[in-house]
Amino acid sequence: MSEQALSRRIEQRFAAWGRILRFAGVAIVGTLSPSTYNSATRQVVQKQIYFTAWEIFPGFIALAATVSWLLSSIVVHVARDFGLFDYALEVIIRVLVLEILPFTTVLFVALRTSAAINTEVALMKINNELEALRLSGVDPVTYELIPRVIGGTTSVLALTAVSTVGALLVSNVVVYDAWMFAMPSEDFAHTVGKVLDAPTLVLLGIKTMAFGLAVTVIPIGEALETPQKLFHAPISVLRGMVKLFFAIMFIELGALAVSYA
Amino acid sequence: MMATSLETDVAMLASGVEFIWAANDDERMQAIADHRDAGLVSATLPLRANLTVLENIAIVPEFRDGMNSRAALGRAWSLLEKVGHTACAHQRDPDLDNRERFLAKLLRAIVGAPPVILIERPGLLLPDFNYPLLLDATLLSLEGHYRSCRIVDYAWNAPLYPRPASRTSN
Repeated sequence: MSEQALSRRIEQRFAAWGRILRFAGVAIVGTLSPSTYNSATRQVVQKQIYFTAWEIFPGFIALAATVSWLLSSIVVHVARDFGLFDYALEVIIRVLVLEILPFTTVLFVALRTSAAINTEVALMKINNELEALRLSGVDPVTYELIPRVIGGTTSVLALTAVSTVGALLVSNVVVYDAWMFAMPSEDFAHTVGKVLDAPTLVLLGIKTMAFGLAVTVIPIGEALETPQKLFHAPISVLRGMVKLFFAIMFIELGALAVSYA
Repeated sequence: MMATSLETDVAMLASGVEFIWAANDDERMQAIADHRDAGLVSATLPLRANLTVLENIAIVPEFRDGMNSRAALGRAWSLLEKVGHTACAHQRDPDLDNRERFLAKLLRAIVGAPPVILIERPGLLLPDFNYPLLLDATLLSLEGHYRSCRIVDYAWNAPLYPRPASRTSN
């Protein structure tokens, strides 16, 4: 590849990310604007939450509980072998609650919902549906796109919150042999309070919010750049998913660096 | 470029209908460009695929005018009743035939109450029908719901439309 072609390619990559960031800005402003919320957009938000979070809720919770149970059991077993049982709960919270579950949640939503959003918006662009809406007096960004960002982000936040609370309940059972909904022991409460202090919770909240924005903004931003030719639809989804993967890794590594560096 | 001409020598029963005869594609495009404030009904402006016919029509007053969902759906339903096609109200675009799809697009344009409705290339929208007569009957049933209507068609299709003489002889 010639130097000129390489520089053009790098320039195109930056321009693509620039357009996604611009859409992220539009989406955030739209989310905070009261004028976005009317009965039409609320219905789109509800549908998005239903398809992203509610429809998968039982299966997702079963998966999160199983992962929590397995990992907690492994940590407790290994900690006992090494005489480090006192640290088992702290390790479980740091690894499972703060890292693995939010990461698993976002991957789950990315595989299930982001690919679908990318495909749907790309087809809307290709079929000229967005332009048809605009010419009818319906702003497609406010009606079709921003509600997907709101619904998707809310879903990631909700699923992460539920799975982490579930993981804490499971770890209480595994570490202390307590009943599932028994009052936690003083040790448990002390360790949870120590690990999940305010700065850690704020960082977890920011990371989860960034995950939520990424799984919606990136597929939509990529789909909006799709040329109006049907054979570009799979290319758009492929590009969107690759960008999303790198964004998720970037957010996760960034959060780890802030926590432990 | 003067792209279009208004033709009145056509005997449509529906009132407020004018014709723009385009000699070629450039003139057709110019006619559309000249009517930026029109409610455009075109084969290139599809319905929203994951909404039903009723929702496609109702979304305009609901979103644009802040009408509540029930009232907007009621208004869309009453328009579908006017044209006698409530049976397709809960169907989505892929399940519609060309006439139902055209009616949905026309009602979506009408419900927005633009100063003029612009139907472009009706032959492309209604390929399996005697479209001049169908257009006339549809617009007649919707009289009072639109202010004026312009039909953009190619000049070579003009003979397909009813002439004053044929109307009188009928």
